[in-house]
Formats: sequence, structure tokens, C-alpha cells
Amino acid sequence: MNNGDNISFTTELGMEKRSMRVGVPSGLLYYRYFPLWKSFLEYLGAEVEESGKTTRAILSAGVSKAENESCLPVKVFYGHALALKDRVDAIFVPRLVSLEKKTHTCPKLLGLPDLVRSAAEDMPMVISPTIDFHRSLWFNYRAVYSIGRIFTSNPFRIIWAGIHAWRRHREYQKKLAEGWEPLLAMGKEKGSPLCEGRKLRIGVIGHHYNIYDTFTTMSLLERLKGYGADIITVDMVPDAWKEEEVSRLPKRIYWNYERELVGALLACARRRLVDGIIFIISFACGPDSMIHILCEQEKRRLGNIPMLTLVIDEHTGEAGLITRIEAFVDMLNRKKKREDREKIGELVAV
Amino acid sequence: MKIAWPHMGSLEVVLTSLFDEMEVDYILPPPSSQRTLEIGAKHSPEFACVPLKTTVGNLIEAIEKGADTLIMVAGKGPCRFGFYAETQRRVLEEAGYQFRMFPLEFHWDKLFELVKTINYLKQGRSWARFVRAVRFALHKAYLVDQLEQQALHQRWQDKQEGATSAALKKAYQLIRESSSFEELDRARREAFQLLYEVPKDEGREPIYIGIVGEFYLVLDPFFNLGTEEQLGRLGAYVERAVYLTDWLRPSGKNPVGGVPDRVIEEAARPYLSHTVGGEGIKSVGHAVLFKKEGFDGVVHLLPFTCMPETIAKGILPMVSKDLDIPILSLVIDEQTGKAGVATRLEAFADLARFRRKKVNHRGMLPAFRTHLA
Repeated sequence: MNNGDNISFTTELGMEKRSMRVGVPSGLLYYRYFPLWKSFLEYLGAEVEESGKTTRAILSAGVSKAENESCLPVKVFYGHALALKDRVDAIFVPRLVSLEKKTHTCPKLLGLPDLVRSAAEDMPMVISPTIDFHRSLWFNYRAVYSIGRIFTSNPFRIIWAGIHAWRRHREYQKKLAEGWEPLLAMGKEKGSPLCEGRKLRIGVIGHHYNIYDTFTTMSLLERLKGYGADIITVDMVPDAWKEEEVSRLPKRIYWNYERELVGALLACARRRLVDGIIFIISFACGPDSMIHILCEQEKRRLGNIPMLTLVIDEHTGEAGLITRIEAFVDMLNRKKKREDREKIGELVAV
Repeated sequence: MKIAWPHMGSLEVVLTSLFDEMEVDYILPPPSSQRTLEIGAKHSPEFACVPLKTTVGNLIEAIEKGADTLIMVAGKGPCRFGFYAETQRRVLEEAGYQFRMFPLEFHWDKLFELVKTINYLKQGRSWARFVRAVRFALHKAYLVDQLEQQALHQRWQDKQEGATSAALKKAYQLIRESSSFEELDRARREAFQLLYEVPKDEGREPIYIGIVGEFYLVLDPFFNLGTEEQLGRLGAYVERAVYLTDWLRPSGKNPVGGVPDRVIEEAARPYLSHTVGGEGIKSVGHAVLFKKEGFDGVVHLLPFTCMPETIAKGILPMVSKDLDIPILSLVIDEQTGKAGVATRLEAFADLARFRRKKVNHRGMLPAFRTHLA
């Protein structure tokens, strides 16, 4: 992965005596790993540039450049990468193959660096370490190390950068688990947390890049907060609970992120963590199309927690989305009131 | 117990032979039809890929005919194919059918389950007999693939349209009827003779077209809307990237296609450097190889929303530009019309013919796939 031109590029830069500007497209895995990447790259002396929030322009650039059949987040990612390409020396798109043994991420993520490379003629260098925990730790160490070598020749600095970045990543994950949206957890914006004791509680289950992207979901989370609902996301469900749910299923799910989704959704249903679930899928998402039916069936067995499935793509209209969410929230409110009344009735009868 | 399985190209020949040898009851679902697609699409998840929808349709039609035991291959990803068996089971249960499903997983840590399942399915027949039957069935598959390849190579010469296809059908029948290795040997000779004897028009110049893509679509003429036959009719010598045997024998040597996996991945490396599941990397690699062998064009077949092939489709334009070879990506789902595909193939064949005259050498034969021609 560290081919010849990378090294010559570094020496060239070294002569110029300016730090390398590395662009990180704010799509897909950005919401999970950006603090990790940023602190790693900055510790090594790179200047990190983001493409910022998704906008109409970014989306339409992505849609016009990407394959028609791709899912929405990949199209958005194309847009972000294109927005960055003229501003930076290199684009950072890691290839995340698997997070634990015998699992994979989505095929689109496996091919992402190659897709970005072929997105435009004048694409800058794409830095893409292959992270694959299905293979040995040594393999991953070498992948990270070879990225470090682009910026510095000091091996200890690379190792320290790794440790430093990992610490930042743990802090970030903890914040996500406490119910902060990524941009709040990164300290970029101010706002209210997802849970602060509002009257309803809704589980919003979906990939990070689907639920946290405020443009493509039309600020769904903000809206739900406005309707007086607390939100539980996949991050906020403890890993042990997710793992427990997934291990109960007859066939092992081999997609990392889908394991989390299914685990979180079923844990919400079994433990009654929420009053209702909103399941967000982007159109043409491969793994989600398969696990949706699985979730519906398994959830039904665990009792009737209402679930709304929203399929979003670049044509999704704001009005249609809002109507459905409003109706869903109204229904949950009514249901909750009725249940409360019944409970009070029981107490009075006693 | 009546076993059934979904259709996939000539898999039918292999499995019927296997179960006949074992004398185990099975039910062949009716050939895929518009109805299969419709009932499959009705019950399946909305944006699942076409192969899932049609296999669900096949299984429903098999259950309607009286099957109660369904078998399906399962895997470990990252392509959705590995999850088919599970999804099919859930979809069919949801639709209220009565059946038992046996997913067959072929890798080491599932060996015990696999042995147990096969032990149950073979209903008391001996293991020796099972192994013999599998071996025989694989030989049949190999032969079927060789015949199919021969047909692809010679269809452009047909004096009378459809003569090769008719001969191929007869040849299949010969193979299906043979029940021992001696008979199979005789059938091989007769079948090839049938194909060779098809009247040929010697005066024609062929164009060379390679077909790459997702194997279900490439293997099954119903779903690729007869792409191979149409290309043959348009005067193309056709070669395919994947054959059933190459898929059934996971040695990576691809005895029929003729190019080992290692070579394919090496060829794809400048464009796609990591496997993406399914046939993604092979589609890219084969496109590069086809160019090297002097082909005039590549047709890329993929089902709508197929993940690995969508990546390949994103990368193939760069291959096309870099290596100067036209590549036509055909996205197929249950809504695709035959006329649309036919028009595009015609235009593509015209383009390829033009390039053969102008760019490529006249009459040059592709380099190393000629060992069977």
C-alpha cells in the first residue's frame, strides 16, 4: 500500500519544508474515527483538513460523479472527496476490512480507496492503510507504521502518535456512549445532549453516517429532540448487550456494523429501553436490506415495540419525512398516555 | 423428504445427476419465468439483489410443487450471498410456507455441521456412494461447461441462426442421460461432434467480446436476457470470465476459464487492490486480461444494488480509459426489458466491429484462451 510515489513525495515535501495537508472527507467512517485519524495525523505533523458538513453542492457533486447504483452515503462521500481534492496534498481514506475475527465491513468500504482514486482524473494521492483485524496484529501495526513513515522517519514518534490517537479515540467513544452527537463530542458545536429526561424515548437505529449526517436526514435528531423525545443511538447501548443479542441469532451476522445495529435494536426491544424505534436505512444499502427482515421478525418475537423504517436517498423530500416522523411521535405519545392511564387505574384498583 | 434447490445456470445438471445417483427424491422447480420473478420480488426485501428475489421465487414454486426440504449454499461474506439462506428462510416463513431449510457452509470451522447436514440429507446412503456421486456430478459439470464454452466460441459462424443453441441442447440431453463414466466419455465425443457439425459460414470475420460480472447473471441466460446468444448472433466470438466448474471447484485454478485467480488479482491490482467480495475484483481483473488478449470489448453484467459489482462498475470506466477498450455495464433487475438490452448490445457490437477494423489487427485471434477452440 505504501508504493514508490508516496516516498518520493515525502522527500519532495521535506525539501519544501512545509507540512503536508491531508484531507479527510466527512462521510462514512468519519463519524466513527475522525478524532483518531486527526490526532494521529496531527501528531505526525500533518495539517488535517475536513470537508465540513454535507451541503446541497457536495451532495449534487457526489451524485453526478458516483455510480447510480451506489448507496446514498457513498455518493455523499464522493462529494466530500471531490470538494477536498483541490485543497490538499493527499486524501486519507483508510480501508477498513474487518474489526474482529471472522467479520467484514461492507464491501463498499473495502473498495472505497480505489473508488476515490477513480473518482476524478486529478485526484491527489490517496493514503489508504489496510486495517484488517481478521489478520494478525503485526499486519495492522505495519499498515499504521507505513502511514507514519510518509510523514516522519522517527519510529518512536509513530508509535507515540498511535498511542496518543488511541487515547483520543477512547475518550471520543465514551462521549458518544454518553449520548453526545459526533460534532458535539468533537467539541465543534454546542447543543443539548441526546438524552436529558424528556417525556418520550426513541431509539434511532442506523449507521453513523446515516443518522448523524444532518443534511441527508434533514436534522432528524434535532427534530426529535424538538418533539420532546430522548434519543438512544447504537453507541449508547452497551457492547455486551449488543453482543448478547447477536449471539442468540441462528446465523452469525458477518458484517461488523450490522452486528452492532441488530444487537442494539434487539437490546432496545428486549430490555424496553425505548418507547419506539426509528430504523434508518439508505436506499440500496446491501447489508441493511438483508437484516431488515431479520430485525422485524426477531423484534416481533420480543413484543410489540413500534418501529418506523425510513429509507432515505438523495430524492427524499423533507415534507414526506417530517409527516411520517410526526405521525410516529404522536402515536407513541398516545400509546404512552394510554399505558400511563392503565397503570394509574391498576394502582387505584389496588 | 423431497429436496429442492434454486436454479442457477446449469447447476441443475449437476444436482439432478447427484441425486439420481444417490436415488434420493428431489423436486426440480419449474424453469425461471416471469412469474418466478414476480412472486420472488413480492416477498423479498425491496432492494435486495435480483438473484435473491429469483431464488426466493424458485423456492416458492418448488414448495408449491411439493418440496419440503430446501438446500442452499451459505457463506461468510462480505457479499450478501452468504446471507441468502438465512434471508430466504425468513422470507418464506413470513409468507407462511411449511418447509425445512438446510444451509450448506463450506469452510473448515463449519465442517462438523456440514457433515451432519449431508448425513441427514443422504438418507442412509453410504458415504462412499455419496463421494462417487459427487465426483461423477462434477465431471458432468465440467463437460457441460466445456460444451458451453465451445458454443460461445463458434456461435458467430452459424449459417442458420440458432443452430448452435439447438445442438447444445441436444448435447446437454446426451450428458444428462449418461449414468456411468464410460457413457459420459461416449457422450463427450458425440456432444462435441454435434457442435462441430453445425454448418458454418467460413467467410465471416468475428469480433471478440468478453463477458465479466456477477456469476449468477453471467451463468443464467434467463437473467442476462440471453446476452451471450445475442452477441453470438451479432457475430461475436464470446468468452466468459466465470464458468460453473470454476465456481464449484474452489482451488483457484479455474480449469474452464483458464486463468488462475492469482493472475486475475495481479491484473486488477493497479485499479482495485483488495478483494471486495463476490466477483468484484475478478470483473476488473478479467477486463484487463481481455484487453491484453486482444479482445474488442467487454460486457459487464451486474444485478441492481449488487455491492461488489457496483464497486467494479465504478472502477471499470478508468480501466476502459487507461487501456482503451470499450466496456458496457448492463445493470439488470426484475424490471429490465429485453428490447433495451438488445439495442445496447447491437450498438456495442457495431462499435466493437468498427474498432476491430480500425484499431485491432484483422483476423487476430485472442492469445491464450484458444486451447479448446
